[in-house]
Amino acid sequence: MKNLLQSELRKLIYLRANWLLLLWSGLFAALGTVAPIMVLNSENNRMGFSGTNTPEGINAVFSNAAGGYLFALIMGILIMTNEYRHGTAVGTFLVTPKRSTVLLAKLIAASLAGLVNQIFSYIFAVGSGLFALTFFEPHAPVPGELLMKVFRATVISGLVLGIVGVGLGALVKNQVVAVTGAVIWTLIVEGLIVAFVESVGKYLPAGAITGLVNVDFGENEFNFAIENYLSPGPATLVLLGYAAVFSIIAMRTTLRRDLD
Amino acid sequence: MSSVTIEFQSLSKQYKDVLAVSNFTAQVHAGRVTGFLGPNGAGKSTALRCLLGLVNPTSGQAFIGGGPYSALHEPIRSVGAVLDSRGFHPGLTAMQNLKVMASASGIDFARIEEVLKIVDLEGATHKRTKGFSLGMKQRLSLAIAMLGDPEILVLDEPANGLDPIGIVWLREFLQKLASEGRTILVSSHQLAEMQNTVNEVLIINKGVLVAQGTIDEIRRGKSLEEAFLDLTLGRSA
Repeated sequence: MKNLLQSELRKLIYLRANWLLLLWSGLFAALGTVAPIMVLNSENNRMGFSGTNTPEGINAVFSNAAGGYLFALIMGILIMTNEYRHGTAVGTFLVTPKRSTVLLAKLIAASLAGLVNQIFSYIFAVGSGLFALTFFEPHAPVPGELLMKVFRATVISGLVLGIVGVGLGALVKNQVVAVTGAVIWTLIVEGLIVAFVESVGKYLPAGAITGLVNVDFGENEFNFAIENYLSPGPATLVLLGYAAVFSIIAMRTTLRRDLD
Repeated sequence: MSSVTIEFQSLSKQYKDVLAVSNFTAQVHAGRVTGFLGPNGAGKSTALRCLLGLVNPTSGQAFIGGGPYSALHEPIRSVGAVLDSRGFHPGLTAMQNLKVMASASGIDFARIEEVLKIVDLEGATHKRTKGFSLGMKQRLSLAIAMLGDPEILVLDEPANGLDPIGIVWLREFLQKLASEGRTILVSSHQLAEMQNTVNEVLIINKGVLVAQGTIDEIRRGKSLEEAFLDLTLGRSA
């Protein structure tokens, strides 16, 4: 297992595309904090949210610092689908015919990659947000408790979404389809469900992450209210449930599949 | 007769409506280069993938090194395989691809320099493989197969993409390995070349073994190509 894990980590480190993905996740997360600061400080278009001179406005800005999880998901998808896209699955399973061991190594590697990805994007997002706030003085203080709550969501979502990505990649196999589907789902479909159908959305990954962050956004035109989402304990369990389900999917599909 | 190291026992593989391999029984011996010949779609690759545990047979079994591939301890040290020329990531260099495989199996990185020298790829060590010619990819696949210094080599169309010099190199390379007592099972379409390379022959057609024997037994004074066409097309001798 140790050798396999080392091998998986080597693949992650050697591939330049992974470093580019990490950079994109940082930029994406930074946009998630900087753009709301601009919006919340515009006089006419705050969409009913409080400005950054209020604690609720600061909450709304920095809760987005966990928003790079899409890239943790993509990282997991790539870890699995690269094997099929480039035909390396054959070599991988020739070295280790016990496919469950290979899958376990991939799930661990994806989880670690997701964690690194999320921590990097969190640092990028928080740093960019704090910097952008200096242009809009005075603003409400950014409490350490808020940053810790978001960091908790960052860590858990990174660990889980990498695993979900491996399961998705094992199921779909086609890299383009899997990544495109994940992007459309995360950025459009899931976002709309979480925002407008909270009774369902709170059980989706993005809804559970919102529950994990657990901060008050104040009044707004979208009627976002943290009370409508799961509290951090159940939200964590929901995310762990996704990790378990997608791990099983990855195992079952990969163990049975012929490599033609 | 040298010892049997690869054995197919009544192996069959059915894909939906297609019977790719049917009741295939054959043996491959150590110290020989055995050619595995057949037309496109004859079932060669499927049989080899069943042998290596990549495809689950519908019935029957295949043994390598005394048991199923999945039962081998550290299989890369017993069996080296080249199944196509895509078995490595195009975004990585030759060295990085080999390090990935070596680290997965706990092989010392010093061995990487050795196998790159064996396949004559020392000059391309740090070149990304997406820039490799087909011949270079075949050589890198062979380098990966040789990483564990295996006693058994299973090669599916290893001469594809090789230029005439590369083909001669491959022939001498395989014969040298066989002379060291290793088992070489090599599938190919290039019958003229196979005639100069192999000691024994398995011929498969439509999933069924149609002939097995030494190269002289199969040829019976003809060229291998003529003998092959007689056997696979049912032409009279």
